[in-house]
Amino acid sequence: MEESILRYEKIDFLGEGQFATVYKARDVKTDKIVAVKKIKIGSRLEAQDGINRTALREIKLLQELQHINLIGLLDVFGQKSNVSLVFDFMDTDLEIIVKDNTIVLTPANVKAYMIMTLRGLEYLHQNWILHRDLKPNNLLINREGILKIGDFGLAKAFGSPTRINTHQVVTRWYRSPELLFGARQYGTGVDMWAIGCILAELLLRVPFLPGESDLDQLSRIFQVFGTPSEETWPGMKNLTDYVQFKHFPPQQLRHIFSAASDDLIQLLESLLALYPPSRCDCTQALQMAYFSNKPAPSIGSKLPMPSNISKIEAEKPSLKRKLLENIDGGSLAKRLQF
Amino acid sequence: MAGNFWQSSHHQQWILDKQDLIRDRQHDLGILSEEEYQKIFNFFASIIQVLGEQLKLRQQVIATATVYFKRFYARNSLKCIDPLLLAPTCVFLASKVEEFGVISNSRLITTCQTVIKNKFSYAYGQQEFPYRTNHILECEFYLLENLDCCLIVYQPYRPLLLFVQDIGQDDQLLTYAWRIVNDSLRTDVSLLYPPYQIAIAALHIACVMLSKENHKPWFAELNVDMDKIQEIVRSIINLYEMWKSYDEKKEIQALLVKMPKPKPAPQR
Repeated sequence: MEESILRYEKIDFLGEGQFATVYKARDVKTDKIVAVKKIKIGSRLEAQDGINRTALREIKLLQELQHINLIGLLDVFGQKSNVSLVFDFMDTDLEIIVKDNTIVLTPANVKAYMIMTLRGLEYLHQNWILHRDLKPNNLLINREGILKIGDFGLAKAFGSPTRINTHQVVTRWYRSPELLFGARQYGTGVDMWAIGCILAELLLRVPFLPGESDLDQLSRIFQVFGTPSEETWPGMKNLTDYVQFKHFPPQQLRHIFSAASDDLIQLLESLLALYPPSRCDCTQALQMAYFSNKPAPSIGSKLPMPSNISKIEAEKPSLKRKLLENIDGGSLAKRLQF
Repeated sequence: MAGNFWQSSHHQQWILDKQDLIRDRQHDLGILSEEEYQKIFNFFASIIQVLGEQLKLRQQVIATATVYFKRFYARNSLKCIDPLLLAPTCVFLASKVEEFGVISNSRLITTCQTVIKNKFSYAYGQQEFPYRTNHILECEFYLLENLDCCLIVYQPYRPLLLFVQDIGQDDQLLTYAWRIVNDSLRTDVSLLYPPYQIAIAALHIACVMLSKENHKPWFAELNVDMDKIQEIVRSIINLYEMWKSYDEKKEIQALLVKMPKPKPAPQR
């Protein structure tokens, strides 16, 4: 592993998170561009714990999973407790695209993003893994327009009925109501809710439910979907952190998403069902009318890219085209001579 | 993790070929006989088991740690890392991978010290457990590398539960077969065969031990390679045969002396 340190040439600093710093690098061996995620050692106390647990989770899961819509783990290297993970390089992510005002997201684009996300997540769930931290920022996109789910630092196996999970997962704006009420036994529904919030954000171009606290988050949810009752959500009052909320009537989603088609509203409603067992799973979602109705999802090369990236993209084909034209022109002339 | 065994790294990378395994052990088998080699692994499997029990780990975690230990030495000579250091390192890594909760390093080291002193003094005499936290942390990374980052290990316990359910719940049978699966960790079968086959072999042995003739039709209807099952059964029975005439307390010290060892660090 130590020789691997020399294998990756740092090109650029990409970002810094709570647990890691990410660099763009060149793999000297294959000449491929990769992303190197260097896990921070943190405090002395954490260093005593050896290889970082978040990194271990990513390593152990990604080593077992292969899907076009999941980020690929290419290599692991480092010394002692200082671990670096090497991933597929991804040009951008859905958060950047949503926030970029120069980008127009057509219904076909939105559908393409949703299909790729749901396919990746369906594969994860089939392998009994919850992602638990889905948000636009973790949906990575490369210049071929392929979306891959990234950041498995919170992902975990699920399905054991006796296992108690922590509810402090998922960035608040994408957190499902059962998690906000402190549920310790939950399932794929927490990921489905997050997908619903992401779909809503793709339509609105701003976060759908940007709560300022956990209580405010619930309040915002109920203001849209109506405050649930014991009839619409059996067992809700038994959840650890349950609190009584003011009664809000449900709103019509088509009033909030006025430009959305009916089949899209139908998908949103089943992703964002308050009562977790009523929420659809990935397979059900992918079978809904929305995905077979027109418009067809955009193909990868037609998906938008932020301007700084599409510029590079634009240069490249033009250069390539020039070369191609030269070759074509040349060879054509020669052929004619024959 | 449940997941899909057939697409797992366990199935695709870590079901080893017997001939390869023998070839990779060539160096150690030049110094130790095959039986002595097995006895040494038997001893360190016990250390892992006792360490795990003292730390109140679930059997699943202990089994994973044991398989890590065996996978490491499937590729490396005993002289690469002192097994007395690798054993607790495997326990440490497995407890993290299986999301068992935090075992602090100081607790791990203290447990190693007491276990070696109280339970294995017949092997180590007055010698104390010589390693500290920094050794374990350095070794952990080396272990991860040698496992090719394949951390999820499938164990025979889950298929065993399903099979017993299918036969018709029989607690006595399950208890026996479960123990046989635990014993199988002292053989090479976890390196050579998929866990469901080990579970069937353990059930088979348990049925014979308990003279449960009535389950014969269940075995007859299985769509598995019975030759493989027989190979596993033979490995486990060989272990039991060996135990009959083996007194670890008398022999292990001499074996540990004979065992290939890392070169001592240069003196400063």
